[in-house]
Amino acid sequence: MREQYAWRSLLIAGILGFIGITIILQIVRIQNSPEAAIFRAQANEYANVLKTYYPDRGEIYDRNGHLLAGNKTVYEIGVELSYVNDKRSLALAVGAELGLNPDDLYNQMMNPQPGQQYLVLANYVDADKAAQLQQLKLATDAQTKPGELSSLAGLEFTPHPERSYPEGSLASNLLGFVSHEGRGYFGIEEKYNDLLAGNPVQVWVPTDPNKALDIPKVPNGTTLILTINRDLQASVEQILDDSLTKYGAVHGTIVVMDPSTGEILALASSPRMDPNQFWNYGTIYQNASEFDRAIGEPYEPGSTIKVLTMAAALDSGAVIPSTSFLDTGEILVGGATIHNWNDQAWGQQDMIGCLQHSLNVCLAWVSEKMGAQTFYTYMNRFGFGHLTGVDLAGEAAGRLKVPGDGDWYPVDLATNAFGQGISVTPLQIMMAASSVANDGRMVTPHALEAMIRDGRQYNVPAQFAGSPISVNTAHTLTQMLVASLENEASSALVPGYRIAGKTGTAQIPGEYGYEPDATNASFLGWGPADDPKFMIYVWLERPSSSIWGSDTAAPVFSEVAKQTILLLNIPPDNIRNEIAKP
Amino acid sequence: MNIPNVNHTVINTVQAYKQAPWRVQRQWIGTFMLAVLGLAMVAAIYLDVASQAAISGREIQDLTTEMITTQQANADLETKLAGLTSNSAMETRAQTLGFKPIESSQMEYLIVPGYTAPIPEILTGVSALRPSAPSIPPEYTESLLDWFGERLRSASTTSLIGVSQ
Repeated sequence: MREQYAWRSLLIAGILGFIGITIILQIVRIQNSPEAAIFRAQANEYANVLKTYYPDRGEIYDRNGHLLAGNKTVYEIGVELSYVNDKRSLALAVGAELGLNPDDLYNQMMNPQPGQQYLVLANYVDADKAAQLQQLKLATDAQTKPGELSSLAGLEFTPHPERSYPEGSLASNLLGFVSHEGRGYFGIEEKYNDLLAGNPVQVWVPTDPNKALDIPKVPNGTTLILTINRDLQASVEQILDDSLTKYGAVHGTIVVMDPSTGEILALASSPRMDPNQFWNYGTIYQNASEFDRAIGEPYEPGSTIKVLTMAAALDSGAVIPSTSFLDTGEILVGGATIHNWNDQAWGQQDMIGCLQHSLNVCLAWVSEKMGAQTFYTYMNRFGFGHLTGVDLAGEAAGRLKVPGDGDWYPVDLATNAFGQGISVTPLQIMMAASSVANDGRMVTPHALEAMIRDGRQYNVPAQFAGSPISVNTAHTLTQMLVASLENEASSALVPGYRIAGKTGTAQIPGEYGYEPDATNASFLGWGPADDPKFMIYVWLERPSSSIWGSDTAAPVFSEVAKQTILLLNIPPDNIRNEIAKP
Repeated sequence: MNIPNVNHTVINTVQAYKQAPWRVQRQWIGTFMLAVLGLAMVAAIYLDVASQAAISGREIQDLTTEMITTQQANADLETKLAGLTSNSAMETRAQTLGFKPIESSQMEYLIVPGYTAPIPEILTGVSALRPSAPSIPPEYTESLLDWFGERLRSASTTSLIGVSQ
């Protein structure tokens, strides 16, 4: 009896064991069957998803933390073609909401590329418009019966950042702009494109949750802090706009710089554009050099160069402030006769008088006294004919002809001395003149104050570009320039502050020599003279109310200086002296 | 005098009991069931850990997406805020409130002995705060092999220190 039971138990155990082994064999067979290979291949297709990451482009702030360039969310709107139920309705809805042609959208959906699964219908769509379309899709989905595809099925919304400039056209000449492709053009955006750019990256992302840590970390761009002061920038732009109207100038440029560090505090140039609408670039500018005239448009500056001619003459020992010169109204240099701006003789003058009355004849004589080699050696030291190295894209080097060049003539020595026959940018003159304002040390202009990456701030130190003149020369010349402005009762003066500066009125070279009635009016100045906190350059192109820099650029300088003093909290000289007392 | 016979019988009975086939069978079945139970427990723990890892992975994926979305929303809001506080907007608001731009001649300076105006040099403050990493003891994260390797390494280090001393 027991044996009979044992036999039955063994039989049941055997059957169960057989079933178990059969299941295991079946599992192994299925795992290795051709169908399994197909399923595995299908699974592999979904194991990774190609995703586009749009890291934020680095933000740009002014020196006080005001956002000048940020990012806003816009949407890419597309369709998953395999889920689209009603192409006609979808084209009509998208067309109506986004202002696109429904027929074009319908044709795009009807004629996709071979193998195309996803089709972009519109990109860089504002969040508001995208939200409206999304609401419509949700409403349509809600009305659809369960298990059915709605008429807007397949519509996809992908958010991504886009460059945005909350201040509009403010400082646009300095900032530049960013195209939809994410590339920076002009100014800071181009110069620091590699630092700022968080370019979109396409990567295969594993869908397996166990590989979640394999999701790539795409770092955002570096944040930049600029040296400019937003409020000063706005004031300077306003003054420039008003000046263009007031003096009937075609274009203008104003730059405010700290001469001790080279920090650009404000840079205004006309015309400006709203970088939020960068596609208008072609209608506003004829060529790239016009985008930022302060660095991209070299011109013959006229008498503002006399500051540097005199600096070279004083430093080389060719003249001293009291050197006398008998001005007869003309001088013959290299076979050409040089005249004063008013074609008159000014009689006996010292070097302060030569600067005060801006005598071309006197400065031509000074340059001859120095000699071509000395003069051009100093001009080279001042950086003329070379890039300043400012951290803005689109800088031009200008042109300084030197003896030995095919197009240099002896008369060029005289004309270069008063700023004709030489082409420079406003920033080049400021850089050169910074040596006079800064105890002989020349600074490299720059617009970047600091960078922020991974929560750490890296400050950009001031860079010096040599010492073309001595401390004594710098101090002496500054006093001469202060005296010349005060003696002249220049309209550039600012009550309460001692200002050093020089006007400039230059003829404009044309196709057949200099234009008879058009000039470039300029003013270069800095203050307070004993401890300069700002240097301002004003350039008005072709002013029509008066051709003279003393009537146009000088008062503009004064106005800018007053605003600079207010916004930078620079006390008048008497208050500063009182504070300095022990 | 039957006592030795009785003892012999008892011993035989106990031996027979110990060697009973059904008892040996039960012992085998018990051992087998114990092995099955052990395997089931390991499988259950593995399943639990694997599912928890998958859930955590899915949460990481969701949080990563959420983080990107939040960062974008932050950037969006920051830009909107900058637009609302832009120079032109603030100037308009100030004028609406009755403020007027000051002229340089209207400015009055007051000398305060010993006062030095603060200069904001550092804009970001200290480096950005990072979320503190959870301090999980290695016993909860390392595998058996890791633990074994670590023990070997620490043992060799100890012996080396001993040699140098």
